[in-house]
Amino acid sequence: MDAVGREITAMLQVRVRKSRRGAGAHRQPFVLDVSLDFPPGITILFGPSGAGKSTLLDCIAGLLRPDTGSVRVGTEILFDSAAAVNIPVHQRRIGYVFQSLALFPHLTVEKNIGYGIAHLPAAEKQRRIDEILSAFRVAELRRRKPAEISGGEAQRVELARSLITDPRVLLLDEPMTGLDDDLKALIIEDLRAWRTARNIPILYVTHSKGEARALGDHCVNMHSGTAASDIPHLSAGSSSGF
Amino acid sequence: MSPLWLSLKLAACVASLLLVIAMPIAYWLAYSTWRGKFLLEAVVALPLVLPPTVLGFYALLAMGPAGPLGKFWNAAFGHGLAFTFGGLLIASVFYSFPFAVQPLMGAFESVDGKLLNASAVLGASPWRTFRSVILPLSLPGIVTAVVLCFAHTLGEFGVVLMVGGSLPGVTRTASIAIYDQVQSLEYGQANRMALVLLLISFAVLSVVYAVNRHAGRRLWTPWAAK
Repeated sequence: MDAVGREITAMLQVRVRKSRRGAGAHRQPFVLDVSLDFPPGITILFGPSGAGKSTLLDCIAGLLRPDTGSVRVGTEILFDSAAAVNIPVHQRRIGYVFQSLALFPHLTVEKNIGYGIAHLPAAEKQRRIDEILSAFRVAELRRRKPAEISGGEAQRVELARSLITDPRVLLLDEPMTGLDDDLKALIIEDLRAWRTARNIPILYVTHSKGEARALGDHCVNMHSGTAASDIPHLSAGSSSGF
Repeated sequence: MSPLWLSLKLAACVASLLLVIAMPIAYWLAYSTWRGKFLLEAVVALPLVLPPTVLGFYALLAMGPAGPLGKFWNAAFGHGLAFTFGGLLIASVFYSFPFAVQPLMGAFESVDGKLLNASAVLGASPWRTFRSVILPLSLPGIVTAVVLCFAHTLGEFGVVLMVGGSLPGVTRTASIAIYDQVQSLEYGQANRMALVLLLISFAVLSVVYAVNRHAGRRLWTPWAAK
């Protein structure tokens, strides 16, 4: 019961509809309309660009406000248009690694990684930073600025910066674009190890079938704002599925 | 107080006051999505194109014994505002407004939006994002704003003439003193003060351009297309 109970409470449930004005080449209005449940573990979001994958992640993180619907993690409501609930981004405790790198250029690697845990006591903060620096094999870069490290290193620092905050949901938007295969394998290993230690839903956007196969517990195929999922669909509040 | 010291004091007061006043306005202009924003942008830019006499005229009306500002000041401090250092300071703040707001706004806008999202996602409140990300990355713009306000106030003439008159030690700034000296044919004195103003202005502008070069990009200056 315990194990089952924990899995159910950690579930990410997303029912959102979001229309956006046309952008890009075809300037067609775009509507994201999905109803998805993400269990703990890695779910791959697959689909052509423009399918709404990033829009979906932005809605979950709170960077975009859905027109209607709800986003909840376990029993906590992050967004609900009917109940007029919209928890601000910085209070959602959702990790998000963006498609393009977003390390703070004026801060060292160490300060970047510590950014999300500034509220912790100094000793505890330092312990966690040291731990994750060595776990991601970037300890020797701690005093460097983002401009002084390679793309692959920046990718790892970015991942570490998100993971150290102990998010309850992790969103990864093509976090390995432009990395070579060896580096990818390393990072995939890091992620898998981390995933087994923390039982949270991880949404992973990728175009690569290889990454999808290496990482995914589940797969969601997105196309033109809608999604087909291989996850057994659970209605909210029901525990019969598990 | 000598005219030169008065000018420097006025310029320092204007620059520090404007830094505080212009910061929130520039922040709002940079990040607001309100459609009518352009109207406020136009108002902020007005002193760039208005003759100083127009600005000075309205400032004088507002500060006069019958004007709203003058009445308020009289009630609060027991004396009028026109032809005092306080009045001169208020008019100068308006006159240099765009020189503070526009570089700050440009600097805020040039901070990558993705960094602001990253900060929020990492749990930082908007205030912390401003302090820890926007402010340090806007430092060149802040330096530019302060230095430009300082230099611009040092060089103002029309507004001071309208609002301040030429009371020695109170509102008689260097630029006014030079004018008076030329009027009374004291070319030697005028020459000395003019030279000092020239050198100070040059030094101050050198700082702006050095900072801009160091920052690796061109920030806003009133003389360059944005």
